[in-house]
Amino acid sequence: MIRETGKASRLRGLMRGAAVLALALAGSLCSRAADAPQIQKDQVQLDVSKAGPRAVESLTQHGILRDYGSAWTSLAHALEFNTLDPLDGPFVGTAKKWLTERVLGQQRSGLRSRYQDQSHKLQAIFYAPEGDVIELHDTAEYRLQVLDGAKAVHDERVVVHYVVLMTPGADRWVIRQLQAVSQF
Amino acid sequence: MRRLLLLCAGAVLLAGASAGQELRVPPSVSAGEDATISTAGSGQATFYVVGPGVASKSSVNLGEEIQLHGQDLRNAGHYMAIVCSSTCQSASFYVIAAKPTNLSFLVHPSRVPVGQENAVSGVALPFDTFHNLVLSPAEVNFTMNAANAALFSRSVHMQQGIGWFRTSSGKTAGTVRVVASVADLSARRAVQQVASDPCNLRMQGQRTAKGITVQTEPVRDCSGNPVSDGTIVSFGAVTANGRSTVDAPIKHGVARAQIEGSGAAVVSVASGVVIGNELHIGAQQ
Repeated sequence: MIRETGKASRLRGLMRGAAVLALALAGSLCSRAADAPQIQKDQVQLDVSKAGPRAVESLTQHGILRDYGSAWTSLAHALEFNTLDPLDGPFVGTAKKWLTERVLGQQRSGLRSRYQDQSHKLQAIFYAPEGDVIELHDTAEYRLQVLDGAKAVHDERVVVHYVVLMTPGADRWVIRQLQAVSQF
Repeated sequence: MRRLLLLCAGAVLLAGASAGQELRVPPSVSAGEDATISTAGSGQATFYVVGPGVASKSSVNLGEEIQLHGQDLRNAGHYMAIVCSSTCQSASFYVIAAKPTNLSFLVHPSRVPVGQENAVSGVALPFDTFHNLVLSPAEVNFTMNAANAALFSRSVHMQQGIGWFRTSSGKTAGTVRVVASVADLSARRAVQQVASDPCNLRMQGQRTAKGITVQTEPVRDCSGNPVSDGTIVSFGAVTANGRSTVDAPIKHGVARAQIEGSGAAVVSVASGVVIGNELHIGAQQ
């Protein structure tokens, strides 16, 4: 029969505690990821019929659709959970700066924003001759909730028009400018 | 019954009107300018502003005007103003870009062979001092000038914050200055025009003790520009023993090579897709 010493027993207890803590943390992260508002594929549409002077090839079109939708999922995640990590990658330049400042402002004032039930109707209106920039018009529709702590201080379904500049990055299209306008 | 309905409708309208007066926002604000939001009612309330780059919370007195400072309204876009006392009221407004102060100008390529059709293009995007894309219509002038000659000039109506051009490269090698200007703003870029493919590639050769020495005449493109040093010229020799090739870079305008072998040879010269003359050189005596 093996008897545990007091020190070994304490160590085992500590390890068990750490494992429980790690599991709880992983569970929390998973539940957060599950809570993150995902955008369905068919909720992002892109019309390239008016794009020019360069024609938008089919692969480019799919890439833009995928990356734009993914960027809005990241945006929603960042603004709901006040975290900056999701902004790394899909956003660069001014768009990233504004979103970062917004997250920091929310952190300071205890606010959160929820972007739910998103749909985006994109129209490509300019695609540069060398393919290094594309301008899109996005008619975005979503439910916007602003929360102060747990209390919703604003809850509205809105239609917002965005002028978007995207540029090709190393492995994806990134949003450089995301500027809402009253109308196109 | 009808009177009761009318009374109810009036009450609903009145309630709606008074609720609408809780918060009055400007329809639009120019980026970086102060703005005023007026509130109705009395007592303390919490005021929130949420917009691009902004999320703030403060205490206000209802019935007083709320001052929004220009530094909080630098970023163009959609803003929500929310005021909460017992209930919350909200209103949205837009901040629009200020006057352009900076022109982003993308020009491609930075190095281009002369005489290429539609080979040079540029895209200009105006931004204000806060990095907002300026979307108001404007005229942008594109010009392209060589050392002492105007190669291209075009005025383009800029729409949705973008103006662009495309043109052919000039005939002379050298630096070309490309300028985009909107009102008193301008942005300059340089494009290096280089010689195109060689034209009339010709060589001379002679037998020496070591083999055959070949040398091109000065290599120029069809516009007469010297082809850049470093461009590879390939010399090929077909002899009774087979085929051999020697690559040589152009140096000071000409390419030279030494081909080994003592038998009769047919020597050819090429650079890229351009083929030059052939030489028939007899065997060593």
